Amino acid sequence: MSDHSLLSQAVIEGKGDQTAELATAMLNSGTKPQDIISQILQPSMNTVGEKFSSGEFFLPDMLLAARAMNNALAILKPLLDSSGMPTLGKVVIGTVKGDIHDIGKNIVATFVRGVGFEVIDLGEDITDEKFIEAVKENNADILGLCAMLTTTMPSIGSVIKALETAGIRSKVKVIVGGAPVTKDYAVHIGADAYAHDGGEAARVCKELLTAKEAG
Amino acid sequence: MSLTQRQLLLAAAHGEKLDKLPFGARIDLWYNYNKAHDTLPEKYKGWEQTAIIRDQGAGAQSRFHTVVKDKYEGLEVIEKNNPPYVETEYITPIGSVSRRTLFTTAEGPWIGYDTEKMFKSEKDYPIIEYILQHTTPVLDPGFDKARSAVGEDGIMMTGAGRASPAQRIMRDLMGFDKFFYELADHPTKVESLFEVMKDMVRRQHKVAIESDLEIYYIGSNWSDDVHTPVFKKFFIPWFQEISEFLHSHGKLAMAHADGENRRLLPFFKDTGIDIWEAWTPIPMTSVTNKELREAVGEKGVIWGGIPSILFEPTYSDEQFDQYIIDMFKEIAPGYNFIIGMGDNLPFDGDIERLGRIVELIDEHGKFPISV
Repeated sequence: MSDHSLLSQAVIEGKGDQTAELATAMLNSGTKPQDIISQILQPSMNTVGEKFSSGEFFLPDMLLAARAMNNALAILKPLLDSSGMPTLGKVVIGTVKGDIHDIGKNIVATFVRGVGFEVIDLGEDITDEKFIEAVKENNADILGLCAMLTTTMPSIGSVIKALETAGIRSKVKVIVGGAPVTKDYAVHIGADAYAHDGGEAARVCKELLTAKEAG
Repeated sequence: MSLTQRQLLLAAAHGEKLDKLPFGARIDLWYNYNKAHDTLPEKYKGWEQTAIIRDQGAGAQSRFHTVVKDKYEGLEVIEKNNPPYVETEYITPIGSVSRRTLFTTAEGPWIGYDTEKMFKSEKDYPIIEYILQHTTPVLDPGFDKARSAVGEDGIMMTGAGRASPAQRIMRDLMGFDKFFYELADHPTKVESLFEVMKDMVRRQHKVAIESDLEIYYIGSNWSDDVHTPVFKKFFIPWFQEISEFLHSHGKLAMAHADGENRRLLPFFKDTGIDIWEAWTPIPMTSVTNKELREAVGEKGVIWGGIPSILFEPTYSDEQFDQYIIDMFKEIAPGYNFIIGMGDNLPFDGDIERLGRIVELIDEHGKFPISV
């Protein structure tokens, strides 16, 4: 088995120590860190996301795979050249105002980061203003909004309205999710997409980016 | 003589045949939020929530945290109130641990969320085990008061703590991410902590069984995020043990099952759990009422079936009625089903829809329900 395959397998199986060792060996044999990230680590996390969505993998499998990838990234990132970390695009994510649930949002962030997006995680209980500011500051491609309560769900719509008021709604795609949020509700409040879980969120973010680039 | 709401719900929980679908409603989120904001409907200003449910014609689910309180011996517990946080330090002879809890009314009532978990690193295992070993449960006298407030209008929804031992570790002590990392990195230590936690929860149940509560929560708020092997190893044997214990005392075991459970459904029948409460089907999860019935068998009692978002203004009265009528058809003939919401009336939900459910039960929900 090639180092490429071994590293991919180590990530998918969540073997952190092995991932770091293999990434180091590939670096020593002359492979560029950018290539290790974009050709092995990110595609491996895509596989993990697909296995999660198909029911073969569970949340802990994904968590361990992401941790394994991060072990390799800790070695590779300082060695990246001026082109920096290969990314698909920028995603700003957070749980809306009044809601301090973080588990679902963290899972989505891990998945989306794993497949190659740069994720700016604002945290929990985020005001409309903070979302707008972060979208502007980071020139975000996608805004991910999470609400875990029926009491906080309306805040998703409020953020979307705030994007309109700020004149930047057309510049960013909005994906929403959380326990009480449904596909119908996403349409009702004017979001671009809904995701049921982290695996779906990663896939949908890639679709949104394609749609955004297509104009 | 007709049965009271409490009698109806208990009879249904025991699988007794009634003449129509019973309905047990939970409105504490709606009530607490609107009471705090002075936005209760004019008609209900100044009313208690049980009285509102009674007025709508439904039975009441009255939530109470736990029938047991924990006392500590051989350690010092220091609480610092630093609004909106409470910081708690547990000082034991072998070391200290602490946690930080944020109190918020985001969900209606004041609810605490641990923003800093008690378990932070491997060194905390023996300290937390010490705390659990030095925890003594005693009956909470507040339970009897809460119970008499509900009277015959409904039943108490509580137990010896709502979460199972594994959940207390993964959700309360560590947090999901850390739990699964710890399970991968230090499996023996996690299993040791699990055994100590089980011993403590057994002690809680031995005290709680002395209360006159009829139905006990033994697990709540889990979902597919619990890995199937973890569910098989850490959840199912515990549910079986504690269900048998409750049954041997003439009591029933209940789970608060409002999460996404598609992957875990095949194991539900193995748990020994009698009642699947707060059951939340499509569109809030991916599972139908029919699929849950197949999973828990004809004898399993399902309580729920109406996703809470159906009470939101985004669903018209016509859509609401249609959902309820379709649900009755889906669950026909309807035995061992208690109508309820998964899991609460939303803060902006329409309270009058409780009364509408009662009307629809009278029109379409008499046993046996025919399609």
